[in-house]
Amino acid sequence: MQSQSQHQGPVSLFDGYPALEGTFDEMFEQGTARPPFARIAQLLSKMTTDELARAQHLAEAELLQQGVTFSVYGDARGTEKIFPFCLLPRVIAASDWAQLEKGLQQRLRALSAFLDDIYGEQKILAAGIVPADMVLGAAGYRPMLRGIKPPGGVRIHISGVDLIRGANGGWMVLEDNLRTPSGVSYVVENRLLSKQLFPKIIDAARVHRVDHYPTRLAETLRSVAPSIEGDVNAVVLTPGPYNSAYFEHSFLARTTGLELVQAPDLFVDQDKVFCRTTRGPKRVDVIYRRTDEAFLDPEVFRPDSMLGVPGLMRAYAAGNVALANAPGNGVADDKAVYPFVPAMIEFYLGEKPSLDQVKTFVCMFDDDRKYVLEHLNELVVKAVDEAGGYGMLMGPQASSDEIEEFRRRIIAEPRRYIAQHRVELSSCPTWISEHSSVEPRRVDLRPYILTSREGPWVMPGGLTRVALKRGSYVVNSSQGGGSKDTWVLKEQQ
Amino acid sequence: MISRVADHCFWFGRYVERAESTARMLAASVSLALDGELPASGVWRPVIVVSGEEDEFRSRITGGNDEHAAWGDGEVVQRFMVWDEDNGVSLARSVTGMRWNARSIREVLSLEAWEIVNELHLWNRGDIAPVSYAQHRDDYYQHIRRNTQLILGLLRSTMLHDEALHFVWLGVLLERVSQTARTLDVHHWAFTNLPSRHEVVETGLWLSLLRALSGGDAYLKRSAGRVSSEGVARFLVAERAFPRSIAYCVRSAYDRLCDIRPPDAHDLPGGTTLERLRVLDAWVVARTGESLSGPGIHDLLTHVVDEVHEICGSLGKELLGG
Repeated sequence: MQSQSQHQGPVSLFDGYPALEGTFDEMFEQGTARPPFARIAQLLSKMTTDELARAQHLAEAELLQQGVTFSVYGDARGTEKIFPFCLLPRVIAASDWAQLEKGLQQRLRALSAFLDDIYGEQKILAAGIVPADMVLGAAGYRPMLRGIKPPGGVRIHISGVDLIRGANGGWMVLEDNLRTPSGVSYVVENRLLSKQLFPKIIDAARVHRVDHYPTRLAETLRSVAPSIEGDVNAVVLTPGPYNSAYFEHSFLARTTGLELVQAPDLFVDQDKVFCRTTRGPKRVDVIYRRTDEAFLDPEVFRPDSMLGVPGLMRAYAAGNVALANAPGNGVADDKAVYPFVPAMIEFYLGEKPSLDQVKTFVCMFDDDRKYVLEHLNELVVKAVDEAGGYGMLMGPQASSDEIEEFRRRIIAEPRRYIAQHRVELSSCPTWISEHSSVEPRRVDLRPYILTSREGPWVMPGGLTRVALKRGSYVVNSSQGGGSKDTWVLKEQQ
Repeated sequence: MISRVADHCFWFGRYVERAESTARMLAASVSLALDGELPASGVWRPVIVVSGEEDEFRSRITGGNDEHAAWGDGEVVQRFMVWDEDNGVSLARSVTGMRWNARSIREVLSLEAWEIVNELHLWNRGDIAPVSYAQHRDDYYQHIRRNTQLILGLLRSTMLHDEALHFVWLGVLLERVSQTARTLDVHHWAFTNLPSRHEVVETGLWLSLLRALSGGDAYLKRSAGRVSSEGVARFLVAERAFPRSIAYCVRSAYDRLCDIRPPDAHDLPGGTTLERLRVLDAWVVARTGESLSGPGIHDLLTHVVDEVHEICGSLGKELLGG
C-alpha cells in the first residue's frame, strides 16, 4: 500500500493508512493486507475517497428514511437518531470464525448449566468453585425463582457475547449479555446496505449470510412453547415506541411475523397469559420480552411500578408461558461472576475453555482489592451491574479526581466493582467523514447465539461496534460508538 | 388483532385522510380567494369553521374579536392550519400523528408504505417544506396530497387485506364522512346567504367547493354540466359511486366493519357499533329520496356528524381497547 504511493502510482484508498502503535490491526500488517483479506482490500482500495464519501452519505440517508433509528432519551421532541454506520466492513477469516463458533457454543452450554444449577441444587457453590456469598448476593440473583424449571428447559434463548482482540490478535470474551442483548437488527440492516454499496466486492468475498436470523429466532421461540397442542402463539414484548431500542423490537416482530405487544395488551387469568384482541382474549404461549425483568410483573419485582403484567410470574412458575430470556439470568452475566466462567466450563462440561477472557480483579476479594486500589491509574474499573459504558473508570485516561472518586466507591461497596487491565482493542480501517480518509479505529464484536431445545446456534456474523472518536476505547453507542457490517468469510473451496 | 394495534391502525387512517383533506381544502381556498368573488373572510373563515377549531382560533389568534382581520387573512389562516403545533388539526400535527401511529405499528404496515410515511414526516419537519410553502404554496399542498394518496394506494397494493387494513380504512372513511359533511354544511350556508346572488358567481363557488372535495369533474359528469346548490348537495350526500360522498363512505365503513365483525358473529365484540353504523346507512339512504335543499340540509349534515362521532366513540370502547 505505502509502497504504491512511493512509486507515484495511482492513489489507493489505504495509502498512508496510519496503523496504531502497539495495536493489532485486523486488515493490515505493516502496510500489507493480511492474506485472507488481500482480495477484499485490493477491491476496496480501488474506490476513491469521493466515491466513499458519496456512498457513506447515501447509507446514512437511507437509514434515516427507513427510520432505522434509536430514540434519544430525555428529548421531549421525540428526536430519533441513526446509529452511526461506517460502510467499510469488518472482515473475519473463516478459520477464526470456526474457533469462535465452537468457543461460544461451549460457553453458552456452561452458562446454561450454571443457571440451572444456581436455580436448582447449587452444586457449584457446594463444591466451592464459585463463592456462594458472591453469587447469592448478586443483584441479578432471584431467590424466588429457585426450583422453577423454565418451559422447554431453556433459559438463555438469545444471547450476545462481547468479544475483543488484544495486542497479539487473540480473541477474548469481554462480557456475556444474557438478559436482553440488543443490536441484531443492525446486523441485518447493515448487510442490506453493504449489498447496495458494494455488490461486486461482497460477491467476490464469499460472505456468510445473516438474514436468516429472524427465521431461526422464531423457530427457537416456538421450540420452547409449554404445550405443543395447536398453534404456538409467540409474541415480542416491547416497552413501547419511546424505548431507545424500539426500532429493533419492531424489526424483530416484522421479520419473524410475530405480534409486537406492550404490557397493557397482556393480562393473566387463572395463571394463563392472554392478549387483548379485537376478537376477545387470545392465549399467549411464548413471550420474547425486550423489557427489563424488573418491569415484567409488578406483583413480584416492583410493587411500586405500574408497568408490567400482574400475575405474569405466577403463570411462568405454573409452566404456562415461556419467557425468553428467562428471568434471573442476570446472576450469570454479572461482571463479578464472569471471572469464574472458565471454571464453570470445566466443572459442568469437563472441557478446557476454547475462548480466552480478560484477567479480572474482583474487588470483594481482599487481595484483588488491594491490587486494584494500588493500580487505579492503570486499570479499567467497571460497576458489575451497569452497562452501556456507564459506571466505568478508564484509569489511564482519568483525572486524579475521578480516580479518587472511584477509590471511595470501591472501598464503600467492593461487591459492586471489578477491574481489568486495559486491553489494546484491535483496530479496523474506518471511514472518517470529517477527514475524508480511512483511519484505524478500535472495534469489538457482539455475535448472537440462539439456544433452542436442541442447543446453541451461532449466527455467522455479529454486530461490530467501532469507537469512532480518535484514541477512544469505548465502542458503546451512548459514548460515540458506531457500527460496521461484519463479514464472516466462508471456507475456501 | 391486538386492540391497541387496531387503535393505531384506525388513527393512522384518520390522520392520513385528515392531512389530505386539509391540504386539499387549503389549496382550493387559495384558488377561490384569487377569483375575488367573495370577501376574504368569506373564503377563509369557513376553513376554520370546517376544521372545528373556531374557538381555538378566536381565542388565541383574534383575541376573542369576531371582527378581527385575521378571519379574512389567508396567510394567518394557512399558517394556523399548516404549521401551528397547538392546533390539533393542523397539517403539522396530522403528519406527526400519522407518523407516530405508523411507527407504533410499523411491523403491521408494509415496509413500502412505512417508508413514504417516514419520508413525508422528515420532509415536513425538515428544511425543504418551509421553503416550498413560502415560495410555491401549491406545490407544498400538492406534495402532501400526492404522498398521502401514495400511502393509501401502497397500503392497498402491498398489505394483506385483512383486519389491519380494514381498521385503517375504517379510520379513513369515518374521517372522510365528517369532512365532507362539515365542508358541505359550512359552504352551503355561506353560499345560499350571499348578499347579492349572481348565477356565475354561485356556479364558481359550488365548483370550488367540489374541488375542495376532489369532486369537480365527477360532479360535472353526473350532472351533464348543470351546477345547482341542490344538485351539488345531492351529489355529495347521495352519490353512491363517488368515493367521498356521505352515502359511499358510510356504506363502505359498514362493509369494512362487517369484514372485521360479521353481523352474525354474536359472540364477538363490536355489535353495538355495527348496528349503529347500519342504522346510519339506512337513514342516509332514506334521506336521499327527500328534497336536499333549504335548511333541512343543515339538520341532515349535523345528524351525520354527530352520529359519526358517536360511532367512533363506540368503536373505541368495543374494539380499540378504549
